[in-house]
Amino acid sequence: MAAVKELTRDLENKANDFRKLEKDIQKNQQVKKKYTIQLGENELVLKELDLLNEDTNVYKLIGPVLVKQDLAEANANVRKRIEYISAELKRLDGTLQDLQEKLNSKQESIAKLQQRIQTLQAGKAKA
Amino acid sequence: MAATPRMELEKMSVEHLRGLKEQVDMEVNLLQDSLNNLRSANARLEIASAALQDLSVRPQGKKMLVPLTASLYVPGKLDDSEKVLVDVGTGYFIEKTMVEGKDYCERKIALLKSNYDQLLEVTAKKRSIADEAGAILQAKLKHLAPSQ
Repeated sequence: MAAVKELTRDLENKANDFRKLEKDIQKNQQVKKKYTIQLGENELVLKELDLLNEDTNVYKLIGPVLVKQDLAEANANVRKRIEYISAELKRLDGTLQDLQEKLNSKQESIAKLQQRIQTLQAGKAKA
Repeated sequence: MAATPRMELEKMSVEHLRGLKEQVDMEVNLLQDSLNNLRSANARLEIASAALQDLSVRPQGKKMLVPLTASLYVPGKLDDSEKVLVDVGTGYFIEKTMVEGKDYCERKIALLKSNYDQLLEVTAKKRSIADEAGAILQAKLKHLAPSQ
């Protein structure tokens, strides 16, 4: 009797862990989505900047202020941003894989626990 | 080509099939939303292009009303319309000539149109999968019901 109680409690804990992992995966995917959009936008900007002559004026909006920027500087900034975002995306990919593996193994151990509980309960019903 | 996916759908259980159909339906909705977004973005660009076209034929010094807020306009005079500031994204603005500005709009409109067409294809394929899954699901349910 006590064994079933303990196993059920363990099952609840594992179920909570599972739900938390699912939420973490969801958050991860949202952040990935945001970064992917930013990456796309920055790449578009880089393409536009590459089309310009050296003497074209480029301005950056900083708050409510339009500030004249050096073309080379603007290029460098956008490139750096693209690098940073790509690195972040790779990192997030790694974390996502990690979380996915944990989720799967959690699911397996939950399934096993459920089986054990069922066999125990079936055994008791017979007795 | 359509035969193989159909056979796989037939093999699935009712539960599995139902879950799959729900998932694909959700995907179709998301894709449809994206399609709508693309269409409205394209509309905005067309308006910008038309505005540019209009500006280019106005003489310098022409009197105009400048919007300061959504409900406040102040009188002003049109300055040199040969130069335009183009918002290219992530807070960057590029000074271009009128011709380059028009060209930019045309390019963006073309890009959005091609994206729209690609997305339309993908959406059509997904929708057909959803429809097939739905049809097979109905058939299976009908098959199961009379036996009760």
